[in-house]
Amino acid sequence: MSKEEIFALITQYAGEVIPGLEQHEFQWTDSLRALGANSIDRSEIVMMTLEAMKLDIPLAETIRAENIGDLAALLYSKRVALQA
Amino acid sequence: MNVFAGTASVDVEKLALHRGLDMTRFSNLLMKEKTVALPYEDPITFGVNAAKPLIDALSAEEKDRIEVVISCTESAFDFGKSMSTYFHSLLDLNRNCRLFELKNACYSGIAGLQTAINFILSGVSPGAKVLLIATDISRFMVEEGGEGLTEDWSFFEPSSGAGAVAALISEIPHIFQVDVGASGYYGYEVMDTCRPAPDKEAGDADLSLLSYLDCCEKAFLEYQKRVEGADLSATFGYLAMHTPFGGMVKGAHRNIMRKIAKARPKEIEADFDRRVQPSLNYCQRVGNIMGASTLMAIASAIDHGDFATSQRIGCFSYGSGCCSEFFSGVAGQEGQSRLRAQNIKEHLDRRYELTMEEYDELLVTNNEIKFGTRNVVLNAEFIGQARTTHGKPTLFLREIKEFHRQYDWVS
Repeated sequence: MSKEEIFALITQYAGEVIPGLEQHEFQWTDSLRALGANSIDRSEIVMMTLEAMKLDIPLAETIRAENIGDLAALLYSKRVALQA
Repeated sequence: MNVFAGTASVDVEKLALHRGLDMTRFSNLLMKEKTVALPYEDPITFGVNAAKPLIDALSAEEKDRIEVVISCTESAFDFGKSMSTYFHSLLDLNRNCRLFELKNACYSGIAGLQTAINFILSGVSPGAKVLLIATDISRFMVEEGGEGLTEDWSFFEPSSGAGAVAALISEIPHIFQVDVGASGYYGYEVMDTCRPAPDKEAGDADLSLLSYLDCCEKAFLEYQKRVEGADLSATFGYLAMHTPFGGMVKGAHRNIMRKIAKARPKEIEADFDRRVQPSLNYCQRVGNIMGASTLMAIASAIDHGDFATSQRIGCFSYGSGCCSEFFSGVAGQEGQSRLRAQNIKEHLDRRYELTMEEYDELLVTNNEIKFGTRNVVLNAEFIGQARTTHGKPTLFLREIKEFHRQYDWVS
């Protein structure tokens, strides 16, 4: 799975979880917080993405991501590390 | 087992409006009211008021068999002297008794419960009882003329409560029989939320939520490893979890149901209403009472659930820092009747509801009793109605004299 595919998953779930974002054109630099997601929304989006990726890592390890692009890159690197 | 949730409360929706919070997001907290500790209330008054009815119901012989008093808290006012010493004196217990205090953020109550159970199970003093008191308060303070009410506080303030749960642990469980050895624990070092200085709370709400979710899953998986045939959907009639605010429990329940039980969203929602909501009722009216929170969730589940046939309750405790545990126990009709006799709901109803003006005034008055206060006489006139609101003798802090706390029963 590429970084772009992970980005697409995150934005798909962000659109489902955060009201009013169905039509939003997501950018890699978008921050979920700035788009109106609270802590619970953000954890939901991360959990749904991990599930779709079949990636089992501690949620707490995703805390460092500052924006959606960061999050996609971080999940990508975790997946690569687990496959290695 | 009994709950004491103070003498005064605020309606958190009114508070959120008063602070100008975003109300659309606010409803996610799933909070209704919270207890506010008045200046003449402290973790001791909460704890003694919770324990008193339990102690008064014992015969002199039974009372003499209390051989351990464990205080579970993150709100202590002394680094050396344990609050158990005050509890022991104010409740007039036998001096052949172990007194100590235990800390691990919101996990303290369950750490204490398990410590108590292990003492009873060890059989070293047959017939002995442990008095467990989990008690925590949050006090917000504003310097006069300062800009204390900042945005950072805004979601923390409506959910932080005050309260205590007292329980007697013995060989004969009347209310809740803990399943021996059925525990999955999970802990690791994480800097999520903490109290790094007197009267200061600090933390990263996101990290704390994620860590709670991780621990809930890992602790349950460990429980499942140790308890043959344990099944998240089928084994437990109810679930009672540490409740910083209802929304967090909802998120954690959704996560484990999706990942472990492979349930669909609709089923998860129905399962939440049926198995989890009963445990939330008291927490939604008291706020986060930290070390006492999981115990209050258990009490709420027993008071509000259907125990016509005995039910197993799956319990989860999480304390920042962090340590967590998933364990279980069984409650039945007798336990429910005994617990209902404590009238916890009526007790919550009787709290005096503060106006926003009174509440804001309190935030300034709280400066009188900062950590480390050496001498002060508390103003009994301040929100005096709250002192008699329960219609029965209630313990309050009268003064601090050379650091020593002095209390009065007021009726």
